[in-house]
Amino acid sequence: MSSSAQEIENLIGHKYKEGFVTELEVDTFPPGLDEQVIAKLSAIKGEPEFMLEYRLKAFRHWQTMKEPNWAQLNIEPIDYQAISYYSAPKKDSDKPQSLDEIDPELLETYKKLGIPLDEQERLAGVAVDAVFDSVSVATTFKGKLKDAGVIFCPISEALQEYPELVRQYLGTVVPSGDNFFAALNAAVFTDGSFVYIPKGVRCPMELSTYFRINAANTGQFERTLIIADEGSHVSYLEGCTAPMRDENQLHAAVVELILMDDAEIKYSTVQNWYPGDENGVGGIYNFVTKRAECRGANSKVSWTQVETGSAITWKYPSCVLLGDNSVGEFYSVAVTNNMQQADTGTKMIHIGKNTRSTIISKGISAGRSQNTYRGLVKVGKGATNARNYTQCDSLLVGDQCGAHTFPYVEVKQPSAQVEHEATTSKISEDQLFFCQQRGISAEDAVSMIVNGFCKSVFKELPMEFAVEAQALLGLSLEGSVG
Amino acid sequence: MSAEQIISQYPAEYKKIADALPGQSIAWLALLRQDSVQQFSAHGFPSLREEEWRYTNVSAIEKKLFSPASSSEIGAIEIDSLNQYLIQDAWSVVLVDGHFSASLSKLDGIPEIVTVMSMSAALEQCADLLEKYFSQSVDSKEHGFVAFNTAWFSDGLFIHVPAKQVLAKPIQILHVVTQAGFMANTRDIIALEESAEVTVVETFVGCDEAYCSAAIMEVSLAQNADLTLYKLQMEGEKAYHFGGIYVKQDRDSRFTHHNFAFGGLLARNDIHTDLGQASECDLNGLYLGVKRQHIDNHTRINHLQPHAISHELYKGVLNQRAKGVFQGRVLVAEQAQKTDSMMNNRNLLLSDDAEADTKPQLEIYADDVKCAHGVTVGQLDEQSIFYLQSRCVDKQTARNMLTFAFANEMVEKIKLPELHDMVLAQLLQRFPQAGIQQDWL
Repeated sequence: MSSSAQEIENLIGHKYKEGFVTELEVDTFPPGLDEQVIAKLSAIKGEPEFMLEYRLKAFRHWQTMKEPNWAQLNIEPIDYQAISYYSAPKKDSDKPQSLDEIDPELLETYKKLGIPLDEQERLAGVAVDAVFDSVSVATTFKGKLKDAGVIFCPISEALQEYPELVRQYLGTVVPSGDNFFAALNAAVFTDGSFVYIPKGVRCPMELSTYFRINAANTGQFERTLIIADEGSHVSYLEGCTAPMRDENQLHAAVVELILMDDAEIKYSTVQNWYPGDENGVGGIYNFVTKRAECRGANSKVSWTQVETGSAITWKYPSCVLLGDNSVGEFYSVAVTNNMQQADTGTKMIHIGKNTRSTIISKGISAGRSQNTYRGLVKVGKGATNARNYTQCDSLLVGDQCGAHTFPYVEVKQPSAQVEHEATTSKISEDQLFFCQQRGISAEDAVSMIVNGFCKSVFKELPMEFAVEAQALLGLSLEGSVG
Repeated sequence: MSAEQIISQYPAEYKKIADALPGQSIAWLALLRQDSVQQFSAHGFPSLREEEWRYTNVSAIEKKLFSPASSSEIGAIEIDSLNQYLIQDAWSVVLVDGHFSASLSKLDGIPEIVTVMSMSAALEQCADLLEKYFSQSVDSKEHGFVAFNTAWFSDGLFIHVPAKQVLAKPIQILHVVTQAGFMANTRDIIALEESAEVTVVETFVGCDEAYCSAAIMEVSLAQNADLTLYKLQMEGEKAYHFGGIYVKQDRDSRFTHHNFAFGGLLARNDIHTDLGQASECDLNGLYLGVKRQHIDNHTRINHLQPHAISHELYKGVLNQRAKGVFQGRVLVAEQAQKTDSMMNNRNLLLSDDAEADTKPQLEIYADDVKCAHGVTVGQLDEQSIFYLQSRCVDKQTARNMLTFAFANEMVEKIKLPELHDMVLAQLLQRFPQAGIQQDWL
């Protein structure tokens, strides 16, 4: 009896396990943002001239914009001048050439996070690009990828090595003036991943990026650009963590995916930024713009996300289905506990003929959190035979949380078929009782039911991510059931 | 031009009728009107930038500047011309160009303790009773139409049913607009005391020219009261229509609404209800759009107390260049446990230029609830058409049958036989497909 009480105590007292701080020597800009800061940042990165112009243009536009306030979110005002826009582990002037040259403390951090940075120890077939605060630290498996013709490198490196390729695609899916946070990102993004899969290549392994905010008072602005050329295929994973701090930290990323004819991109995210404590102190503001453009016919993009962290999540991975017969998919599990707020969903813009999209969204709210699904399905005039199926389910755990569903459906094409379904319910006493009657503890039963609830999304995740996601889900909900 | 002038030219236009409006001597109403004038002068009619109006552009009403009809300008109508809209087995009230017409109305035999009178008469005879209900279900801050209506309503109807009264016959309210360029601006109040029961039919008709009809109805249902409200909107094809129904439901009360939106160039319905403990509401709607019609249905159901039930089903058939909008919001407050809510919106698009925009919303703050919503936009099922064809029904007839069946589900819910036939006739007459065969009906 006492041992089980102890167990529950432990579970309730569970702390954010990625919440450690790594003591490193870092280069950090003083807080503040103006054109000089951007110029300095661009200079440090050794970027080509057009990038600086791009950044300054975005910055000037950003200054004229207002923060969006339409989301169902309660955001403490952000002081953009109090944020430092660049922070990087100090190192020799040259980038590390191999893992031996990387700060051992950093390697230790990644080991704690369980990232397979070390090639010998990593899980088979995952190439990792790790972004620590503002710079990309190491990219593994570069050689093998190069043989296949795949470019997978930090975007800062891509800007130096393949400037024309970056220039051709950067900002074409999410223009620099798209929205407030996208404009800010375009002005100050520090690093991120760049992926180019050439024609007809099936990427030999899954690509993966880990993001971590380490330094205090810094924002993380990373930019991911993935181009899948004709007939190519890639699966890309992304994970994020941050230390526990009392202040809110801003993370404003932009992800752009471009798909040519017959290309396929599978983009999976496990987002576990620090969510703040049970009273809503601290935590990451996760304001992300993600968009995929299916430019070619028969292309397919699939977003899978598991959102467990962040104090506030504001994120709508979208698919612009331009090419005929292109397919967009969105699978999402968003878990909020304590004082977390999530306003997330997707946009499916059907433009090409016979385009299809599927949206499966599972929201779980516990504690005093607010969890909102907000989505748009738009079928343009030319999108004959477009098809959409949307299912949004919300599960309420506890009587002080909120679950909201705000879908928008706009159809201008009679041959389109659009379906939207949403339900909201709680875990029923009957289900719990049934499990408990068969000797399963209440906590396990809840976890089992919740996992079942999310199964249709988890099965879309790559194997090792699915395991992590399930574990995360368990942790996030701990202590929410009495 | 000052800022106010840019926002709206209506306040200047309506200043001239301010002295002729009913209820001049009543202090609370004067205050309310004054506030509303200010509210409207500052904000004007709603714009597309407002979330609740993002699909409906009412700037044409602003541009056209519809003028109020003073009581001396009311068009003359013969009762015979209205018979086709009137239910014979009912008490009826006719409002012409926004003013109560005693000669056209038929209220004989209504129980004496039940109050059915024009708003202007009610403001003279029972202002104290009215104050209990006026502007209680909706506030001028809601949006420009409410502010406008509160500021300048010319007349309307007041129905008060005392406790435990069950009316044997329905009451029909017929709104008629006779002249081009007029704006009929009416305010109706329906108040049911404990366990009272009544059926009300609201009908809107008008001339073939451009006019505007803006009617706001406030409903107050006391404990265990029961109101069935039918609304049949058959405005002229160049007309602008705004109809707002705002309901406050006390515990155990029931509100059933059937909304048929057939007419008007631009029509918007607001149906908002606040649900008390264990109360029920059932909202049904059918909208039929042809040519360039724009029909917007906006519903909001606020579950404020536990154990309440809400059901909602809206169906739309859109043809040619018509645009149908559905915005439905269900809010479940923290204490509203055991809420049961179901919302459905089905749209049938019949032509390449038709458009359906739909926005169902669930906003839930309680945990022990059962809430769902569903939306579909699509066309007729090819397999069903094929099935009928395989049974020797030609393709066009098959399509007609299926479209009719889709819409008829809502008509079949009508419990008044006379009204049922009237709506059915309207449906067939306005049916988007030409040559509908009636022998299979």
